[in-house]
Amino acid sequence: MVNLDKLRETVKEMLTREDVKYVVGYEKGTYGFRVSPSFAFIPEDVDKFIFSPLCVNNLTIYPMLEEKLPLPKDEKEDARKIGIVVKGCDSKAAVQIIQEKGMKREHVVLIGVPCTGVVNPRKIKARFSHQGKNVDVEEKNGKFVFVIDGAIHAIPKEELIFDKCKHCENPTPVLYDVLLGDEIHSTEKEDYEEVKAFEERSFGEKWDYWKKQFERCIRCYACRNVCPMCYCKKCMVDQLSPQWVRRSTNLSENAAWNIMRAYHLAGRCIGCGECERVCPMGIPLTELNKKLQKDVKQIFSYTAGLSLDKKPLLAIFSPEDPKEFIL
Amino acid sequence: MTTMEKLVLPKLGIRKLIIGMLAEHRFFGPVDDDGATLFKQIKDPAELDLTFTNSTVPPKALLFKQTETLFKFSLGRSVKIDPVDITNERTIIFGIRPCDAKSLAILDQVFKGDYEDPFYLTRRKNTVLIGLSCTQPGVNCFCTSFKDGPASSENVDVLLTDIGEKYYVEVRSDKGKHLIASMKELLRSAKAEDENNVTYVEEKAIAAITRNMNIEGMVNKLDKMFENSLWKTIAMKCLGCGVCTYLCPTCNCFDIQDETALEKGARVRVWDSCMYPEYTLQASGHNPRPERVNRIRNRVYHKFNYCPKNYGVTACVGCGRCIDNCPVNIDIIDVINKAGEAKV
Repeated sequence: MVNLDKLRETVKEMLTREDVKYVVGYEKGTYGFRVSPSFAFIPEDVDKFIFSPLCVNNLTIYPMLEEKLPLPKDEKEDARKIGIVVKGCDSKAAVQIIQEKGMKREHVVLIGVPCTGVVNPRKIKARFSHQGKNVDVEEKNGKFVFVIDGAIHAIPKEELIFDKCKHCENPTPVLYDVLLGDEIHSTEKEDYEEVKAFEERSFGEKWDYWKKQFERCIRCYACRNVCPMCYCKKCMVDQLSPQWVRRSTNLSENAAWNIMRAYHLAGRCIGCGECERVCPMGIPLTELNKKLQKDVKQIFSYTAGLSLDKKPLLAIFSPEDPKEFIL
Repeated sequence: MTTMEKLVLPKLGIRKLIIGMLAEHRFFGPVDDDGATLFKQIKDPAELDLTFTNSTVPPKALLFKQTETLFKFSLGRSVKIDPVDITNERTIIFGIRPCDAKSLAILDQVFKGDYEDPFYLTRRKNTVLIGLSCTQPGVNCFCTSFKDGPASSENVDVLLTDIGEKYYVEVRSDKGKHLIASMKELLRSAKAEDENNVTYVEEKAIAAITRNMNIEGMVNKLDKMFENSLWKTIAMKCLGCGVCTYLCPTCNCFDIQDETALEKGARVRVWDSCMYPEYTLQASGHNPRPERVNRIRNRVYHKFNYCPKNYGVTACVGCGRCIDNCPVNIDIIDVINKAGEAKV
């Protein structure tokens, strides 16, 4: 894991630059195993920065959340850069957005953190459901180690780690300005085992499964708002005229919402899993995203968010593309 | 208020008690639905999960539905309006937590305020609340900050408290008394020992609540800090999703929409969230709350300043759902305590 002093020192130095507006990183959360996004405007703010296996949030969302209101006359837009602490998966989001021209490369400074996997908050909460006081987690020798009331807990990584981390192909950020620590190379390959197993099921079984999930959706749009890739100026679900998706919550509308969102992320989702993490109803959204990811890979040999030299999938025309869809 | 009856129900009797109620009521209780606890209508007591901490979605959703059809209509040469039958069935919400029961008392003030809402009020009138005291409060529970407690019976008709071999039963209202009357053979009078046990269980639950929000003087304090930088700090990390509002037991904002398909349609009322930019967007295109800071500040003020002024009660019951579910750890206890400490 990252050397904390090095992280803080790097960010502090960055904040002395005139072209940097602020840096977003992580700080301790208010309870249990939570961490919180943290914003540093001046070097003193950096003292609360941390990095640990609990740092799950994909902070690449923050430049996308910048609000650009009409400015008073003669006032110029603050075009300074935003610094972001990024893990491997988070950096892929940055690459994807830049590819799509959702933001400019020079608008961000990426502080890359080679990542060895983060803790799934649901899994740790299931084991320590009544942990009120904030806990620090460290990774040591393949175990997540932490102290609660003087007692040391060392839990094998695979029991608490996010599923997405198990087959992570890019633990080292694919794009960064500063890299903290040595590169980590992964020999893992995403094999889409679960997707393949699900594809084997009958149409009826598949629908029954998703029907049950979509029926629960309360349309709070946490999945959309946490997603760095969901940065449309006007989301189709918010449009009133025409109204693509009704405000009523029922299976039909909820399914329309979730399926439209999944399709909108085809060839774009970089698999950070934030949508599933924040869903209060526990809808397994990564299963949907992964299915599309697998299809895109199979049909077009394309993986989102890997290189700035590439174009977004839907902006590429290749004569070799499969043409089965042409009647 | 009738004099409180103090009874006990041996645990073996709970199944019979519920079966007795199922016969004449729509019966809702906490059910484990694939990891989420939801209040659902049940047909068999075995479906209930009484080990829950609190439900994911508050039981307000049973009375103030996320989607409510107000009336149906058909278009064409002449418009025809079909009123919707308002659910008038006798209903029981079993296992509601004291905090959520209090939230309904707060919602009552809204729905019988300037306009009486027949949908909510009819359901409310026909619903008996059978509360279940918390014996293991959640990490972010803080009902005690509002001088309420995990075994507070104030806002329920009947309160059950698990005291080991039996439930301690407090009958708090005429509705509750009426309901229990036909089930007297299952109940016994409480003994002094039971009373001691219930006090012990309650004290233990109170001791398990570790979080505290200091709301003393908050109304006045907030009056003086509308422009404080605190709101900007919180808004920086807010994603603007609707988790906190949709899962809040006291949030009650709604939108009204006409949903049509060719020649017929319905006017529906759906939950809305003040965290969405669309919420205050005017037809002209102007938005009086254009930034997240405006919206999140409004949410805090609505609960801790406007509601206390308008209804004499803070519109927060300390259930902790918004804290548990915020994707970016915006923690209302922390927010209010920081507001308390802020220099003005």
